[in-house]
Amino acid sequence: MKAPPFAYVRPATLDDVLGELAGGDAKVLAGGQSLVPVLAMRLGRPATLVDIGAVRELHAVESRDGLRVGAAVRQRTIERSAEARAVPLIGMALPFVGHRELRSRGTVVGSLAHADPAAELPAVAACLEASIEVAGPAGRRTVPATEFFTGAMTTGAGPEDVVVAVTFPAARPGEGFGFAEIARRHGDFALAGVAARVRVGADGAVEQARITGFGISDRPVTRDVTALVREHPTEERLRPETARLAAEVVDTGGDAHGSTGYRRRLYGVLAARELAAALRRARTSTEEAA
Amino acid sequence: MTRVPEARVAKVAAGERVDVAMTVNGTEVVVSVPPRVHLADALREQLGLTGTHLGCEHGVCGMCTVLVDGEAARACLLFAVQCEGADVVTVEGLGSPEEQHPLQQAFSAHHGLQCGFCTPGMLMSSYDLLTSGPRGTAVQPEELPVEMSGVLCRCTGYRGILAAVADVAAQHPDGLPAPRNCGHRTLVGRGGGPPTARADGSAPDAAGAPPVPAEVRLPAGAPSATVEVRSELGAPVDRVWEVLADFHRLAACLPGAELVQVLPDDRYRGRATVALGPVKLAFDGLAQVVEHLPDQHRMRVLAQGADTGGSATQADIRLAAEPAAEGGTVLRADAALFLSGRIAQFGRALAGDVSRRMFEQFAAAVEESARSGRAPTAPARPPGALTLLAGTLAARLRAALRRLRRTR
Repeated sequence: MKAPPFAYVRPATLDDVLGELAGGDAKVLAGGQSLVPVLAMRLGRPATLVDIGAVRELHAVESRDGLRVGAAVRQRTIERSAEARAVPLIGMALPFVGHRELRSRGTVVGSLAHADPAAELPAVAACLEASIEVAGPAGRRTVPATEFFTGAMTTGAGPEDVVVAVTFPAARPGEGFGFAEIARRHGDFALAGVAARVRVGADGAVEQARITGFGISDRPVTRDVTALVREHPTEERLRPETARLAAEVVDTGGDAHGSTGYRRRLYGVLAARELAAALRRARTSTEEAA
Repeated sequence: MTRVPEARVAKVAAGERVDVAMTVNGTEVVVSVPPRVHLADALREQLGLTGTHLGCEHGVCGMCTVLVDGEAARACLLFAVQCEGADVVTVEGLGSPEEQHPLQQAFSAHHGLQCGFCTPGMLMSSYDLLTSGPRGTAVQPEELPVEMSGVLCRCTGYRGILAAVADVAAQHPDGLPAPRNCGHRTLVGRGGGPPTARADGSAPDAAGAPPVPAEVRLPAGAPSATVEVRSELGAPVDRVWEVLADFHRLAACLPGAELVQVLPDDRYRGRATVALGPVKLAFDGLAQVVEHLPDQHRMRVLAQGADTGGSATQADIRLAAEPAAEGGTVLRADAALFLSGRIAQFGRALAGDVSRRMFEQFAAAVEESARSGRAPTAPARPPGALTLLAGTLAARLRAALRRLRRTR
């Protein structure tokens, strides 16, 4: 189907973007790879689309205190950027985001703002404890990614707000990551997926371990599993533990593509596998640093 | 670094049309669209580039994949109004029938064309993969099922397609050749109404008449049809040249043509009508004499015209008059024709036949004018369905009969 009629404006400054969003019946258009299908299926009928593509400051990629990605920066730009190598988890996740053709236009921040519960990048942001900058009528604020996602396609950004940027912390020596998802076809939204992050000390002992599941609830669900990984440092030994964790965190109802039970099994298997892989990579990175 | 578009500070209302300038297959165009029209519809309806196919129109199937600023993108997930200043390449720009891109050759060789519906998307996606994919042309065959999964094929599977892409990747380890059919050409939409794509930046005049282009520019690439005709006239060469050298008399000899306005720099604005069965085309256009060699009795005329119904034609015509035996003249015309829009759908052979027939009528009118020393008595009538098609078909029939007799 075609999108319903809408007015269109492409302001040059963030202030003008906020001016256009005032009133609440406008939507921000960045890459449009999530928004346009919503319009084409007539699930949304905003009066105005405010294209942020001409706001120069939103195209910035900066690598001070981690990786700061502006709201207009495309996923494929990050896929290729040298700065983004400081955040290995994002490089592991991006190939799973839609297809190449969608990543050409889709933005990193747009995926966060859209907050699809089965999307990869919100899970990456939650797992890494990224911080999300939001500008609104009352000024700017920074929201931790762990608090940003409040439900399916709802976030801490209101209808008059614009998400300006996200900052991912750079990986430190001793950190290792894992990422995996199961989808019916490549490029589809995940039936279940996990992002894992493990930090070890100079002696190889587990200092911290986190696992974020997606496609399993109405938002990315993160758990601190430091004690689990410390006591059960291999995939085989983690498997029963992550299966128990799955029963707790996977609360999505079943659908035509997979039951709750199937998703729990996927989560348990993927979590054990990726936590073990992240631990292996963390230990390799300390050996390299030494 | 991604191109940052210019701001469009004035809000475009929901139903309002807005002009969007972009480059499509090397041609600068302006489309006039409401904000909700996506790029694929603008390409198909406004520019007549129907090679870009549409399937699902919400980003799943990949049929509409084109290159935007050098990268594959879904043309159905991108509003045309967002594409101001963008550089778009469609499957038409990838290669021409005469000079196919290696990917097109490989798809054909490996039976990857199948029903053809997904082919444009597959070609543009694979071009993107082998030029700006994760590892460039170094893609391994086993990675192809995932890398090519952005475009769906519903025929029999992907084997031939993947084999074609793998073949091209192996043949071009140092990078893929650029698109081969990008250059200036006239693009016209399919929807009727005034032309919406302008190649020359000229504005329509107040009366709403199609714009007068500033100059005649010929498209890049191979012509749709070429015509070479030789006519023996009874009139002496000097008299024939007099007719050719006087553009008013020349125009009066052209079937269906009418000279509207004489412009500086040997340019002439005119109108031409061609009727073929149910099809009636009225071209408004421009002719420009770019070479005029009276000593050799030779001239070269470039012409272009657009039809309000969505066809366009451009022509590069060389006329030469040579003395013949018994004081007569041999009038020769070589024309390269570039057709787009509905008229192009006639097929090359018929377009050539019709052009040849028009030239024969032209030659007859030149002869009459050369003999009488005046413009032809009756203005040359628009070549009608009966005269043109009947003549064309009769000529084909005769040729077929001759072949039949020979084979007996």
